[in-house]
Amino acid sequence: MQVKEFKIKWGMVIDIDKCTGCGACMIGCQVENNIAPMTKKDPYNYVQALTKDRDDPSNKLRTLTWMNIYELSNGQPYPNHETAYLPRPCMQCGSPACVPVCPVVATDKNEEGGIVSQIYPRCIGCRYCMAACPYHARYFNWWDPLWPEGMDKGLSTAVSPRPRGVVEKCNFCHSRYLDAKDKARQEGSDPMNLPDGAYVTACTDICPTKAIHFGDLNNPEHKVYELSRSKHAFRLLEKLGLHPQVYYMSEREWVRKQGDNYNAGGGAHH
Amino acid sequence: MTVGATVGILFTPTVWKALDDVSIWTQNWPWIPRLKYGENKAVATVSKMCESGCAVKVRTVAGEAFGTMGNTENPISGGGVCPLCANGVQVKNSPNRIKSPMLKGEAVTWDKAKEIVAEKLAAAGSKVAVISGDQTGTINEVFSALLASKGSDAFYAMPCDMQSACKAWNGLMGGSGQVGYDMKGADVVLLAGADALESWGPTVANMKAFADNEGGKFIFAGPFQTKTASVTSKWVPVPAEGMAAFTLGICYYVLQAGKSVPAADFDQFKAMVMSGYTPAKVEAATGVKADAMAEVAKQLLTAKSPVVVPGGSVGAHAAAFALNLLLGGGMKVLPEFAKAVGSAMSRAEMMKNDILQGVNADLLFVYEANPAYVLADQVKAGFTVAFDCVNTETTAAADLVLPIPHSYERVDDLASPYGLPQATYTMGAPVCKASLDVMNAGDFVLGLADLGFESFQEVIDAKVSAIGADADSLVEGNAFVLDETPDVSGVTLAASVLGKAASPVKGTGAVAVAPYTLLNVGTANQATTPNAPCTISNNQLVGDKLVVMMNGTTAKKLGVSVGSKVKLSGGSGECQALVQLFEGVMDGVVAAPLGMGHTTGDEFSKGKGDNVYKILTVSSEAATGASTWAGSTVNVAKI
Ligand code: SF4
Ligand code: SF4
Repeated sequence: MQVKEFKIKWGMVIDIDKCTGCGACMIGCQVENNIAPMTKKDPYNYVQALTKDRDDPSNKLRTLTWMNIYELSNGQPYPNHETAYLPRPCMQCGSPACVPVCPVVATDKNEEGGIVSQIYPRCIGCRYCMAACPYHARYFNWWDPLWPEGMDKGLSTAVSPRPRGVVEKCNFCHSRYLDAKDKARQEGSDPMNLPDGAYVTACTDICPTKAIHFGDLNNPEHKVYELSRSKHAFRLLEKLGLHPQVYYMSEREWVRKQGDNYNAGGGAHH
Repeated sequence: MTVGATVGILFTPTVWKALDDVSIWTQNWPWIPRLKYGENKAVATVSKMCESGCAVKVRTVAGEAFGTMGNTENPISGGGVCPLCANGVQVKNSPNRIKSPMLKGEAVTWDKAKEIVAEKLAAAGSKVAVISGDQTGTINEVFSALLASKGSDAFYAMPCDMQSACKAWNGLMGGSGQVGYDMKGADVVLLAGADALESWGPTVANMKAFADNEGGKFIFAGPFQTKTASVTSKWVPVPAEGMAAFTLGICYYVLQAGKSVPAADFDQFKAMVMSGYTPAKVEAATGVKADAMAEVAKQLLTAKSPVVVPGGSVGAHAAAFALNLLLGGGMKVLPEFAKAVGSAMSRAEMMKNDILQGVNADLLFVYEANPAYVLADQVKAGFTVAFDCVNTETTAAADLVLPIPHSYERVDDLASPYGLPQATYTMGAPVCKASLDVMNAGDFVLGLADLGFESFQEVIDAKVSAIGADADSLVEGNAFVLDETPDVSGVTLAASVLGKAASPVKGTGAVAVAPYTLLNVGTANQATTPNAPCTISNNQLVGDKLVVMMNGTTAKKLGVSVGSKVKLSGGSGECQALVQLFEGVMDGVVAAPLGMGHTTGDEFSKGKGDNVYKILTVSSEAATGASTWAGSTVNVAKI
């Protein structure tokens, strides 16, 4: 598939030298996008005594972590060991591996800004896209999203909860993009030329070290323009040619080197 | 099905079109909550999820809170939030909230609760004690004034570095005010045991200072490469019990370079360091190479504004303060804000009592603290009243449980979280109405004794006017900053005690244990929050099993490897864990995460991992007499 180019290209530059792996972005993402905490019991299942429990909250294979933190290691023994943390949202690839495999066009890359969409009501849960994505950015709802008693009253208006059987992923907090464009229109400014910071994702907002930079990679007035072109910037698995819109940067050479094989065993584990 | 058939179906549109329709109709279930739309707002308040507290904005839609974001205008947040506050609303709405006053497991009315406590209070005489899990709130003034009215001074904080700092600075060294650190302005920051970018002090403010510090160099010293050490330019492996000696080893080079301070005991201090803490002696006692100390000393000496931030024992703090005074860099001394309640204790007075030495009272009040989880053996009381908003081990064991509003539902404040470089005051008003039968602890206590106030709101109002802040600006979420420096001329270097206190003392177990805190796992008082389990790495928890980390050499010595099941025994208990290899741990050390193994609470924390507090050993530091967990060791057995 060809690289889809747009006039606006929303992207991230994540400064690994600033990320402590604290996990605030992972929690901020779940809150923003109405990802229910994993619970064993289903209050709506009146025959639960006869059925199996849902998954345990700490079953990481079944939880939905649109934003996930990977730990990197330089592989050296004590005392020369070094470690780093790599937050992984969806890469919003320029040439996404997930889009062409979807049989019902539930995921596409066709909107100005270059965000890879995911249309939940269309998704039939075949999970081809999950298998195709080399970044493991896609997640499957093995269970219905059920909030423990009382917790469903405080939900975000960003996105409706997705039911069981649907694939979901990071969409750069797309509703924030819509909001920013609406605001620009109301204020009489150009929604197609948002100033730096007018639209940022929830994880960008919440990060205490401001390790995540967000903006239009094509706009020289946005900070990510410069950062993504710095000599310390790199992308994950660049050799696959998917052209991710998420960049990383690190002054540490060993970190940059792992960008191309971070998933190949050895150093990294979650 | 054959591959051919699969491909055939794949290219036939009708099947997928039909499935598309089916999928839409099977996605509208009544149990999937529908969103409620309305005006979106972000309301400033304070959060009390960690001991330090934070300035946050609570995001609401149509008046209902749903999320937490940072407060850019307030220096305590600077824009970000930590993983605990990020989940603040979910804790507020959690079914783990306490719904009404409970007397020995039975719901009672507030009137009944008040009657019982009044009776116990009258009978207890001066044998009343308070344990507070809040380090910064004016609520502590109310509790300490209650104690004063009963002729008691039994106010206890949970063990923390703020207490060690107080004991060192205000106690041993005769200083006044509170120590702070300018991590943003410093060009070299030595984190001597302080896990400042993960769990120490006002974490979010520290992280922001780190992010804003252009070109500054951060160095982390400690037994284990914490998350802080993943972003510092250097990690210097130093055992916890050797931190004071390591710091004095650096003082050696700094003194050698001719640095001095006009302290009364400077000569004595110099003589003590130059003879007792030579690099060779420190290397022999701690295993830290003299070269490593020389290198750190060189960096500090060539810096324009260096700062040393200590963590650990009282001795380690005193040594770091002495080093800071010699260097004359970014260590700050903050004035204490004026009190609202006249008969309340000062902060230094509140930090005086050592909870690890044990608490014994006829009547004990516990405020948002979880001593039953952290200090199971140390706390004894005839009758315990626990104020909290969620069920904990402490509320489960308490005689009377009094539910308080969550911090987003109440009036509260934050006076100078320990670690900030400036005296900073922040106030929080309720963002949303309490939906349960709760009462602010301040209101309850003010109803028990005449402390000169009718309500906690009045206390906060008095505080705001006593410190000379503008209430309107505070309500908007701005901080009030006091830019004064108390007189530090009388400060000494604690030479007479430091010489003995800094000498490393270690237990006799097979390996040292390096306990560490991660905010996504929780703190001593706050258990893992609902959305946090999936953020906890396999280095801390696999399934329901606690994970401890050690390096390959240590594992080999112990005869264990990745995934080995082990039993760690130390202190007065044991823990079960799985072994993970991590080369960021010193030889002979096992790194173990605190905050797991809860026996009460919700499924997000209960039964997850094991409680590492059980295997820590409390020892009494030489000369200072202060309790410390540093030097804890454990035996490791394969199971
Ligand atoms: S919030 Fe920031 S520092 Fe924390 S894990 Fe995410 S990117 Fe890293
Ligand atoms: S990261 Fe994965 S899900 Fe995201 S666009 Fe690329 S292939 Fe698709």
